[in-house]
Amino acid sequence: MTTGASEPLLALTDVNTFYGQAQVHFDLSINVGRGHIVCLLGGNASGKSTTMKIILGLMKPRSGEVSFDGASLIGLTTPQIVRRGIASVPEARRLFADMSVRENILMGAFVRNDREAVAQDLDKMLTLFPKLGQRLSQRAGSLSGGEQQMVAMARALMSRPRLIVMDEPTMGLSPLYVDRVLELIRTINQEGVSVFMVEQNASLALEIAHEAYVLQTGRIVLSGSARTLKDDPRVRDAYLGGSEAA
Amino acid sequence: MSSWLDYTINGLIVGNVYALVAVGLALIFGVSRLINFAQGSIYLVGAYIGWVAVVQLHTPLPLTIIFVAVVAALVGLIIERFGLRPLQNSVRIAPLLATIGISFVLDQLVMLTFSPNPRALPSQLPDVRFEVGGGTIGPLDLLIAGVGISSALLLFVFLRYTKLGWAVRAASQDRDAAMQMGVDVNRVNQTVFGLAAALGGVSGLLVGMYYNQIDTAMSLQATLKGVVAEVVGGAGNVPGAVIGSMLLGLVESYGVAVFGTSYRNLFAFLLLIVVLVLRPNGLFASARQAPPEPLTGTFIAPSRPVRIPRWALVVAVALFAVLPLLPVSFYVLQTLINAWLLGMLALSLTLVAGTIGQVSLGHAALLAIGAYTSALLSLTLNVPVGLAIVAGGLMSAALGTILISPSFRLRGHYVSIATLAIGEIVSLVILNWESVTRGPIGISGIPPLSLFGYDLVDPRTVYWFAFAVMVVLALVQGRLLGSHLGRSFRAIRDDDIAARAYGLSLNRYKSLAFIFGGFAAGVSGGIAAHLYSYINHETFNTQQSILALTVVILGGLGNVVGAIVGAVALVGIPEMFRIAAEYRILIYGIVLLLLVRFRPQGLLGTI
Repeated sequence: MTTGASEPLLALTDVNTFYGQAQVHFDLSINVGRGHIVCLLGGNASGKSTTMKIILGLMKPRSGEVSFDGASLIGLTTPQIVRRGIASVPEARRLFADMSVRENILMGAFVRNDREAVAQDLDKMLTLFPKLGQRLSQRAGSLSGGEQQMVAMARALMSRPRLIVMDEPTMGLSPLYVDRVLELIRTINQEGVSVFMVEQNASLALEIAHEAYVLQTGRIVLSGSARTLKDDPRVRDAYLGGSEAA
Repeated sequence: MSSWLDYTINGLIVGNVYALVAVGLALIFGVSRLINFAQGSIYLVGAYIGWVAVVQLHTPLPLTIIFVAVVAALVGLIIERFGLRPLQNSVRIAPLLATIGISFVLDQLVMLTFSPNPRALPSQLPDVRFEVGGGTIGPLDLLIAGVGISSALLLFVFLRYTKLGWAVRAASQDRDAAMQMGVDVNRVNQTVFGLAAALGGVSGLLVGMYYNQIDTAMSLQATLKGVVAEVVGGAGNVPGAVIGSMLLGLVESYGVAVFGTSYRNLFAFLLLIVVLVLRPNGLFASARQAPPEPLTGTFIAPSRPVRIPRWALVVAVALFAVLPLLPVSFYVLQTLINAWLLGMLALSLTLVAGTIGQVSLGHAALLAIGAYTSALLSLTLNVPVGLAIVAGGLMSAALGTILISPSFRLRGHYVSIATLAIGEIVSLVILNWESVTRGPIGISGIPPLSLFGYDLVDPRTVYWFAFAVMVVLALVQGRLLGSHLGRSFRAIRDDDIAARAYGLSLNRYKSLAFIFGGFAAGVSGGIAAHLYSYINHETFNTQQSILALTVVILGGLGNVVGAIVGAVALVGIPEMFRIAAEYRILIYGIVLLLLVRFRPQGLLGTI
C-alpha cells in the first residue's frame, strides 16, 4: 500500500489556528502517507489536541489547508468529515457511558447503512478484541480503562475508515494494556488503515510509527522517519517541553 | 374512604399529564444540557390550538390530538432553529435566558390573540363515570392514561431501536463523541425539540379537557410542574421523569385531599426543594455524576465594561436630582419613581446574578417580603413608615438568605430552578397564611410614605426619597464591589472550585451577597407597598422577576450603573412611546431575546 503514494492521504498545509488572541499553530504542515502510521509528539500545551480538532472539523483554522484524499476538508462539519472516511479514538476514550458495549461499537457504524455487513464487522471486532465478547451487554462506563480503550478502537473501526486519528491512545493505561494497544494499532494498520496518532510518550510511539513530527508550542521543530528520530537527542527535549522547562 | 382511591386515580392521571411535559424537558436537557423554560408555553399553545380545533373546526378527537401534536411540534422546531441554534457557541447562560424570552413572547402572543379570559375546552367524550372498586373513572381519565402510556412506549421503542433514537442517546451522553461518530447534532436537537413540543402540546390539550378550562396562566404552572417532575426524576433521565411525574401527581393529589386546593402547588415546590437539596441529581440518579460544568467562567459573557467618567455620573445624578424643580409633568415623575424602585431591585439582582453568578428567577419574592413586612408593621403595630421600610429590608435580607441557603450548593441552571421555586413558595405562603397576611384579600389601607413624622405625598418628595435611597444603595454596592469582597464574589462566579481551593467559603460569600441584595430589594418592596397602599400575593409576581433580570442583562450583569440605566430604559421607553400595557411584556421578551443573541454583555458590559 505504501508504494506509489505520490499524494499523501491527509495533508495539513500552513495551518494557523487561534484561540481568541492566542495563536496555537504556526504554519503547521503535516502529511500522513497512505498506509502509514504517523505520530505527532509533543508535551503539554504544544497544540497536539488542537491538531486533532482541526482534522475532525471540531475547530476551524484561521488560515491554511486541510485535505483528505485530495479534497479539502475546510468548511465541512464533523459528521461530513467522518463520512469521508476518517474515524477517531478521542482522548480519554469518550465512550457513551450509559449505553452498552454492543451499542457503543455499533454507534461507530452510524454512517453506514449496510446492516448485514455491519453485523459481520461486529463479529470481526470480537475476534480482534476477544475480551469484549463477554462484555457486550454491559454498560460501557463500567469497564476498566484498558477495556474501554478496546471498545473505543473497535468503535472507530466500525465505520470502515481509511484513516483513524487517535488522541493519546495509551494515556492512563496499565503497562500491560499499553503493549496490547500498540500491538493492535500495528494490526489495524496492516489491514490497510492509515493511522495518525498524537502521543506524549515518544519512545512508545516511535516503536510503531513510520514517520513522526515533533510539535513544540505550535511549531513543527523536527520531523522525519521514526527510525532516525528515535536516536535524536532533541526528541527527548522536545516532547518534555524544551530543555529549559522543568 | 372511597375518596382515597379517587385521589389516587386523580394523582396518577395528573401525573400522566405532567409526564408528557417532563419527558420533553428530560429529552432536551439530555441533549442540550438546557432547562427549556418555554416548554410550558408550548403546552399553552397546544391547549389553544386544541380549542380552535374543537370549538371552531369541530374536528373529531383523534384528529384534534394529531393536529395539536403537529402544530406544537412545528412551534418546537421553530424555537430550536431560530431561538436556540444561533446560540450554540454562546455562553451557557444564553440559551437559558433565550427560552425565558421565548416563553414570554409565546404567552403574550397567545394572550393577545385569544384574550386573557378563561375559555371552556369540551372534551368531546361522553360524560359518564364507571365505578371501579369504590372509586370512579371516566373515559377522559382512560384517554389520558392511554396517551401517556402509549407515548412512553413509543418513546422507548424510538430511543432503543431506531438509528435516530440511538443518535439522541449518544448525543445526550457525549455530544462531541457523537459528532465524531457522524451524528448530526443539529438534527438530533431538532428531533428532540419537535418530540418534546408535540408531547407538551398534547399535554396542554388533555389538561384543558380535564378541567374543561384553559387560560394563559397555565404556561408558567406547566413549566414549573414539568421542571419539578424532571428534577425529581433526575435531570435528563427519561424514565426518571415519568416516575417523578407520577410521584408529583400523587403528592399533590393527597396534599389537596388533606389540606385543600390552595396548597396544591406548595407541595410541588417543597418536593422540588427537598430533592434539590438532598439529591440534586434526582431520586434515581445513576452512579454517573452529572457532567462537570466547565471550570472557567463561561456562564456569564465576559467583556470589558464601558468606562464612565466619575464627573459624568455626578452630573447625571445632579440632573436627575433637580429634575422635579423643572416644569415636568406629574406623569414623568411617576414613571421615574417606578424606574428608581425597579432600579433598587435591579441593583439587588445584578449583585446576586451578575457579580456572584446566581441567576435568580424568583427575585420578586424579596420585594414581597419587604412589602408585607413594612405594610404590616406600620398598619398593625403603628411602626413609623420610615422605620418599617428599613425593617422590611432587613426582613427580606434575613428571610431571603435563610430560604435560599439550602440551595447554596447548587450551580448554574439549578440555582435558577431553586430560586424560581422559592419565589413561588413565598407567594403561596402569603396566599395561605391568612392569619398574618390576610390571604387572598390582600392588605389595603397601607399608610403613605412618611419620614420623621412628615408625610411624603407630594410626587416630588416621593421622587426625591426614592431617588436618594437608590443612589445610596448604588454607592454602597459600588464600594462593596471595589473591595476584596467584590473580588471574592467574582472569583466564586467564575470558578467556584478554584475559589474554594483558595479558601473562600462559598456559603459565607453567597450569604453576604443575598443579605445585601435582599435588603435592597426589600426596601424597594417596602416603598412600593406604601406607595400603592394596596398589595396582595400577586402584586410581586414572576413577571417582575423576569423584568428585573431583563433590566440587569440590558445594563450588563454585575454592572451597578448598568442596572440603573437598564431600569430607566425598560420603564421609560415603553412610557415614552405610550405602548399599551399588554404589549409591554411582549416587548420585554423580545428585548431579552435580542440582547442574548446580539449583545449578551449588555449596554454597559459585564463586570
